[in-house]
Amino acid sequence: MNPADVAQSVLPLTSSDLSLFTLFWHAHWVVKFVMTGLMVCSVWVWAIAIDKIVMYSRSNKSMDRFETAFWSGQSLEELYRSLSSKPNHSMAALFVAAMREWKRSFEGSPQKSFAGLQMRIDKVMQVTIAREIERLERRLLVLATVGSAGPFVGLFGTVWGIMTSFQSIAASKNTSLAVVAPGIAEALFATAIGLVAAIPATIFYNKFAGEVNKQAQRLEGFADEFSAILSRQIDERG
Amino acid sequence: MQIKTASALSTGLHVLVLAWATLSFSSKPFETTPAESLPVDVISEKDFSQLTKGVKDVPKPKPVETPKPIVEKKAEEPPKPIDEIKPLIDEKKEVAPAKEAKQEPPPPVEKPKPAEKPPEPVKPLAEAAQPQPLPPKKPPIPKPPQKQPEFNPDKIAALLDKRDPTRRAVTGAEVNSQPALGTASGAAAQLSQSEIDALKNRLYQLWSPPAGAQDAGKVQIEIRIKFKRDGTLASPPQVLTSGSGPIFNAMRDSAVRAVMVGQPYTMLRPENYEKWQEIDFAFDSSRMYSDIPVRRQ
Repeated sequence: MNPADVAQSVLPLTSSDLSLFTLFWHAHWVVKFVMTGLMVCSVWVWAIAIDKIVMYSRSNKSMDRFETAFWSGQSLEELYRSLSSKPNHSMAALFVAAMREWKRSFEGSPQKSFAGLQMRIDKVMQVTIAREIERLERRLLVLATVGSAGPFVGLFGTVWGIMTSFQSIAASKNTSLAVVAPGIAEALFATAIGLVAAIPATIFYNKFAGEVNKQAQRLEGFADEFSAILSRQIDERG
Repeated sequence: MQIKTASALSTGLHVLVLAWATLSFSSKPFETTPAESLPVDVISEKDFSQLTKGVKDVPKPKPVETPKPIVEKKAEEPPKPIDEIKPLIDEKKEVAPAKEAKQEPPPPVEKPKPAEKPPEPVKPLAEAAQPQPLPPKKPPIPKPPQKQPEFNPDKIAALLDKRDPTRRAVTGAEVNSQPALGTASGAAAQLSQSEIDALKNRLYQLWSPPAGAQDAGKVQIEIRIKFKRDGTLASPPQVLTSGSGPIFNAMRDSAVRAVMVGQPYTMLRPENYEKWQEIDFAFDSSRMYSDIPVRRQ
């Protein structure tokens, strides 16, 4: 890097104007890239967070509603008919998958084969639970990645910015604070953005991981109960 | 909820936060209220430790200077009219007899009138010449009173002063009726630092302590030196420090030798002979050229 370029690019910052925009604008392109990347990460983290918060609260509510409907003594056939067109939450999807398998075994073929029906229903329900959990957990890895890597990326930007500011000291042959301070401020700005992106990401990741775990257990519980009901039915008919 | 709407929401939120940060984060330069500058005098240690004796509030020397011109005028003016007039009278006196001598011979022969006339203007001159002290004194005496009438209340003391107007003003290096600037308790010698340093340098140059003196550690030999006004010694140097041993003896003898060899001490000014007629000087083996005080007894 040409020392003259360094001096030219850094010296304008020696003016007392140190707003965020000028901090960003006078930074080296590597630091700019880091800052932009971290900014995009932050935007994406918050988008995921908003999406997940809304999604989990809705899912919880609809699961509550479904469970009250399920245990209200309403006919399972009716419930299946009302939900089969579009299961809008995980528990409904689980119920529909199990009922479909049950119906297929009873209605599809003339000779009723009860042998293995219980196992098949369990299998279907396991698969559905896994798929639903995968849906709930989608994009949570982004949060984890940003939360752990964000500070390091910001630190990289800081190190690079401080390197540049030292080069500018060498170029201007002047160690006064007015020459050093803008470069360091610009460098620290990268770390600040990294922390701004990483802290919410870590917090949201922990919160959402707990939420997913809770919902997965709820689904497992429902699957076990429904499996017990169906098993009783099979034994009664068979 | 679609992830797209969430992204849009998040972007909007970030833009809002950034806008707020840009507005609020604009750094202001630190404002430092400039402290009032205090005038500081750098005073060396000697200014404090070596204060000359005197009064703290010395009246400024101006009042001493203002009476002086009055005294000078009084002393100079009276003789002037006497000196100026006397030669005039003398010249005229000389001229008058000459004219009489020249003009007298012709009148008896041809012109009696011109002979009579010349004596008329000469008469007053001749009269003036005959009673020398009385008549010419009158015009010069009224002159000084004519100049005095401008009455200056500040000069009352000078006007009332009945002492001889021609006396010399009381100013000088040694006798001074004016108090000097200094503290009430100061006791330092009024030898200037350069004189002290010069004396110290001279004595230390001449002093060759014996070779073993360095091992003897700090040995101080104080010698009382009495000077005559011309800078030579008034009496043999007197060793004040008492001690024993070959090293001490050798050092003592070398110090005495140095004092003897160094005379006359021309760096000491005879004007302030009182200050240096007796000096206690300390030869210090450990600090050959360091700051050793010279004390006046």
